[in-house]
Amino acid sequence: MISGLVQILLFQGLGELVTHFLLPLIPGPVIGLILLLGFLALRRSVNASLDEVASTFSQHFGLLFVPAAVGVVMFWPHLKAHALAIAAALVASVVLTIAVTALVLKALSPGSLE
Amino acid sequence: MTGQLAPEFPNIYEIWVYLSGSPLLALILTLGAYQIGVIVYGRANRHPLANPVLIAIVLVAATITLIGMPYPKYFEGAQFVHFLLGTATVSLAVPIYKGLSAMRGRIAPLLAALVAGGLTSIASAVGIARMLGADSTIVGGFVAKSVTAPIAMGIAERIGVSPTLTAVFAVSTGILGAVLARFVLDAVRSREWWQRGFAIGVAAHGLGTSRAFSVNAEAGAYSSLAMGLHGVLGAVLIPLGARLLGL
Repeated sequence: MISGLVQILLFQGLGELVTHFLLPLIPGPVIGLILLLGFLALRRSVNASLDEVASTFSQHFGLLFVPAAVGVVMFWPHLKAHALAIAAALVASVVLTIAVTALVLKALSPGSLE
Repeated sequence: MTGQLAPEFPNIYEIWVYLSGSPLLALILTLGAYQIGVIVYGRANRHPLANPVLIAIVLVAATITLIGMPYPKYFEGAQFVHFLLGTATVSLAVPIYKGLSAMRGRIAPLLAALVAGGLTSIASAVGIARMLGADSTIVGGFVAKSVTAPIAMGIAERIGVSPTLTAVFAVSTGILGAVLARFVLDAVRSREWWQRGFAIGVAAHGLGTSRAFSVNAEAGAYSSLAMGLHGVLGAVLIPLGARLLGL
């Protein structure tokens, strides 16, 4: 578990450095992700420790954005004032996104013609 | 007698001042609320509306409002949890790497669907919110909402919109996607599990992915692949697009 965590932290640090000095437009963790992906592709395997850390994180991803999302209390009056627009935009957008993605996949996949 | 006893026990107020001065209180609150959310989710047979993250957010928001703890004060303690978002984002490389071998031969349709879905997500949310009179703060929060929350917040910082609103909209989108996906996919007659999973992942990132995994393993794998790819492409293209459009 520890060696996987060290690996991830190293790539995160590397990502932050690249963002800071070379590519300020892309968030550091995303650069770290891309670099780690490149590293895994070169090594052609995922070691057990890294795999363990990654699956722990993905199981509890949700917990990590609680602190930021609680900031909603600061926007409360603002959100209430625009409740209808927000609800409509969220629902319509998610329905359209799922439908468009699924339809494009269906149209472009070989052998899916009915 | 009570007068003699009193000095031996620090009064409640002192305990409170001590506790609220350390990060411990915010950490206990955050993790405790999430734990309650996980328990409720399990009891509700993993019903998508009993989302543990949603429950945790509501519980923490209600508690800090009740005890009069200002949000910046809460965040001072909870930032240790928040920091791990970046670490968790880097770890997404692992599911993406594992998914890549499965996607050979399907790369073109998957990428085309991802771009189409991503653009639909932004255009529809921003368009509808604008049309219904939402102001620019709110509209800004919609731009990155279909991208997985940690990356979405990073994008929000880059393009100068509120990371908090973005996170809230991203979580709401994930929950809605998890609830509605099945009906939408049936309506457009999507039948292959990999296509259904990918569509959920593009629209509803992590929360949709955990839903997809609970229905079908292939759908889950494609959903997590979609979430990761959407995160990476979104992080690169959304700030570029925003700059080009002069937003």
